[in-house]
Amino acid sequence: MKVSRWSILALAALFALGLAELALELHHVQVVDVAAFKADLAQQATRRMRKPGIRGRILDAKGGVLAESRARRDIVCDLSTFLKSGRLANTVTAVDDAITRLADALGFDRPASLTTERISRHMRTQSAVPLCVWRDLDETSLARFEERAASFPGFSVEAHAERIYPRGTFAAHLVGYTGRDRGTEDTDDVRMLAYELEMKGRAGLEAFYDDYLAGVAGAVRIPVDARGFKPRGAARDNIALGEMEERAAQDGLDLELTIDPDLQAIVEKQLVGVRGACVALDPRDGAVLALASAPTFNPNDFVPFVSAKRYRELSEDPDHPLLNRATAGLYAPGSTFKPVTALAAFRAGINPQDEYECTGVYKLGDMRLHCWNRWGQGPMDLHHAIEQSCNPYFARLGYLMGTNTLFRTAREFGFEAKTGIDYAPERSGSLVTPPFYPGLACQSAIGQGRLQVTPLQMAVECATLANGGKVFTPFLKKRADGSPPPEPVRTLTFKAEEIEYVRNGMRAVVEGLKGTGKAIGGLKVSCAGKTGTAQIGGGGKDTWIIAFAPYENPTIAVAMVVERGDSGGKTVAPRVHAILASIFGEKEE
Amino acid sequence: MLKKLLQFNWFTFLSMVALTVIGVIFIKSAGEARTVASLQDAWRLHAATALFGLILYFTLSFFDYRKILDLGSTPYFLISVILLVAVLAFGDKVYGGKRWLLFFQPSEVAKLAVILMVAKVFGRKRPTNTFLDLLHGLGLLALPALLILAEPDLGTALVLVPAILVMLLCARVCLRVLIPVLAACLLAAGAVLAAVHVAETTNNPQTKATIYRFLPLKEHQRARLRTFLNPEADPYGGGWNLRQAKISIGSGSLTGKGIGKGEQKFLGYLPPSVSMNDFIFCVLAEETGFVGASVVLALFGVLLLSGLWTALRCPDDRGRLTVIGILTLVFAHVYVNIAMSIGLMPITGLPLPFISAGKTFLVVLLAAFGIIQSVSLHREEES
Repeated sequence: MKVSRWSILALAALFALGLAELALELHHVQVVDVAAFKADLAQQATRRMRKPGIRGRILDAKGGVLAESRARRDIVCDLSTFLKSGRLANTVTAVDDAITRLADALGFDRPASLTTERISRHMRTQSAVPLCVWRDLDETSLARFEERAASFPGFSVEAHAERIYPRGTFAAHLVGYTGRDRGTEDTDDVRMLAYELEMKGRAGLEAFYDDYLAGVAGAVRIPVDARGFKPRGAARDNIALGEMEERAAQDGLDLELTIDPDLQAIVEKQLVGVRGACVALDPRDGAVLALASAPTFNPNDFVPFVSAKRYRELSEDPDHPLLNRATAGLYAPGSTFKPVTALAAFRAGINPQDEYECTGVYKLGDMRLHCWNRWGQGPMDLHHAIEQSCNPYFARLGYLMGTNTLFRTAREFGFEAKTGIDYAPERSGSLVTPPFYPGLACQSAIGQGRLQVTPLQMAVECATLANGGKVFTPFLKKRADGSPPPEPVRTLTFKAEEIEYVRNGMRAVVEGLKGTGKAIGGLKVSCAGKTGTAQIGGGGKDTWIIAFAPYENPTIAVAMVVERGDSGGKTVAPRVHAILASIFGEKEE
Repeated sequence: MLKKLLQFNWFTFLSMVALTVIGVIFIKSAGEARTVASLQDAWRLHAATALFGLILYFTLSFFDYRKILDLGSTPYFLISVILLVAVLAFGDKVYGGKRWLLFFQPSEVAKLAVILMVAKVFGRKRPTNTFLDLLHGLGLLALPALLILAEPDLGTALVLVPAILVMLLCARVCLRVLIPVLAACLLAAGAVLAAVHVAETTNNPQTKATIYRFLPLKEHQRARLRTFLNPEADPYGGGWNLRQAKISIGSGSLTGKGIGKGEQKFLGYLPPSVSMNDFIFCVLAEETGFVGASVVLALFGVLLLSGLWTALRCPDDRGRLTVIGILTLVFAHVYVNIAMSIGLMPITGLPLPFISAGKTFLVVLLAAFGIIQSVSLHREEES
């Protein structure tokens, strides 16, 4: 025979070896390396999806809600329901048709933005995530959908958080607004899928305390098929990979503010119809009781996205409603700066009793600084100069002390630096910008020259004078109960009687016979203040009041500016009176 | 009759039936991931085909294999060649190849024809060891193989080569030429792989162009060799099928995910177009794990070794060569199919015998094992 038994046995050995090799290799793949392949499967067959936490509320000092998250209801489309074999475009068309049919059945308009390109892009990038069809539906529309939902498989209602500002324009500059943005805390290499962009603070406290309010987004792993769709039918029923929570979402915290809602409302009322700002501080610790800027805006316009048209309107408005004048508006302080000059005079060794004859104008070389009283106010000492806001007197003080002493004192009050309030944006302003020139000290002494201050800095100045020399950092976030009272960042390096002398002068402004700010007074308590009327380019005036009350033991310090007013005493004093009267009441005649 | 029952090779028969039943189960399982009704029901057709094949099996085993070879092999061979020509002329074009004639694949039919023809020619009693005999044998292989290659179906053409070569080696056809030629072929295969490796890894486009001018490989063949040589290079392109096959098998772990619970097929990572054909072993290994895969390997072991037992007991060359040819063909299919899905061989479209959905191949296999059974039953009869 040609075919020997040995060749058959050799063939048997070959077969056996071949099968044994396969078994060995299979053992390697299925037993030794099993973890790697299981990991590969989990990696390719699941996607991480972001589940945001609920953003915290913003509350005023009395618990009133300034910003919160509400449940917004959307009709969404599960794309896998419409999955067609073949090209992706087939599925896109199926989804597109289904949306049109549903729109017809409900009598809704198809959202214009939901083009086939949008659907196609969504399908290519995150087909496992539901597609938002109609956003933010009211109860009637939802009821109409629920009646017909059974005949439209693949569509359902989902609730998602949306920001709402229940009081609209109230404290709008403080609260700020949110927009939508990509999450920032994604540290993974792979970007997570998400139903929509993350809610993110864009302005005001929403931005400043964004991390505090936002919480931490959670992540779930959802199974997907090879085309990135959610498995359905037999696939969903038979696979072991389920939706699982990888990291729980943490809700954001509520932000409680120091803002007194009643005071804030009065302050905003006093600013209606003008451009200006007002800040009220508690001089005992620096807590911001009210802070407003006018004109203002409605943060609800920014939810969930501000329309390009609305944003253009707001940003191109010559009145700059988006600017928070209280912290980022720069003004010349005018005569409200004079208490600083007055204190600096003590440092310069000037005797406050020394009299100076006001002739209505102060001359230095070619420079003329006029008093508000063209005819001159006659001889006066420091006390009366404060009371009657005498420009020549203070210009002469500036000349005598020079800029160094004046600005050193101003810096003690915190000018030329940000106050450090827990809010952005804040500007630091400036005391002087080069070049220096003769007469700068005289102009600066009366709050003109190159001085640039924010209303918030003026409120700090006022509070510092009110509490006898302690400079506090203003703050908006309410201190936790039982936490120690805040320490002042600085204490003025002046004697108590020197500060008291200036305070006394300020009381005369309100309560003296010739006081320029008598319109502030008429309260049940004794009050002190200072008017200011700053000349600005073009002949206009920015008008000021700083005031604190009660005189003996102040609980509030206010600074208010109104752009293009007549004078501090006429334009602003009645408004500040109204604010203080809401707290202390009118004096009964 | 009792003697016949004792001579019946029960091991071959039962392992064959077991493998066919496993095939039906996993074609059903792979079909569950499909949405087309005809594919969901493909297992019924496979089972029905198996029943038809079993009738053929018993019919052929009833006849003496010598008569089958003497009377049947030449007409069968000629008809096969005609069918292979016909498929090139009138076949349906599917996936870029002409493999289908009406409801069957002539290339599958031709596999058995070549084996029977070679067994008949070299099983004769007179010596067949001249160079001319070798050319005769190679010619019998080359004629259908080239026609199959023209379809084109490289895998099916290549899988015939080891079966026929093993038959020629066992029949000791001109070994002084055959063995050096075989060695040269192995060297050449190694050289081709090395050349492709150089061409694909070189940074010099001129070198690549030069190499491919002398290597007439089509782009998809190059891509497969490239993937085989470096599977990690392109996991989402050419490496996708291999990667998904390995993930399927690997994630099956020791005991599997349960029959019908394979995640890879349901999620569509294991390409649905091949999950019940060339990649059915992946479905099986994912759902039954290493245990199930080992059972299947063991069944193939029983099938092949018990078949060789029949060859060993057979007193003539014709029977031995027939059995050896068929078993080597089956072994080549099993080895290539499983080896490619775990990256030991380049991806080649070869079905797993008895298990992959493929009606022509199943009928041909059952017929072939009917002839092996005939060898077992009729070996002691006078020739």
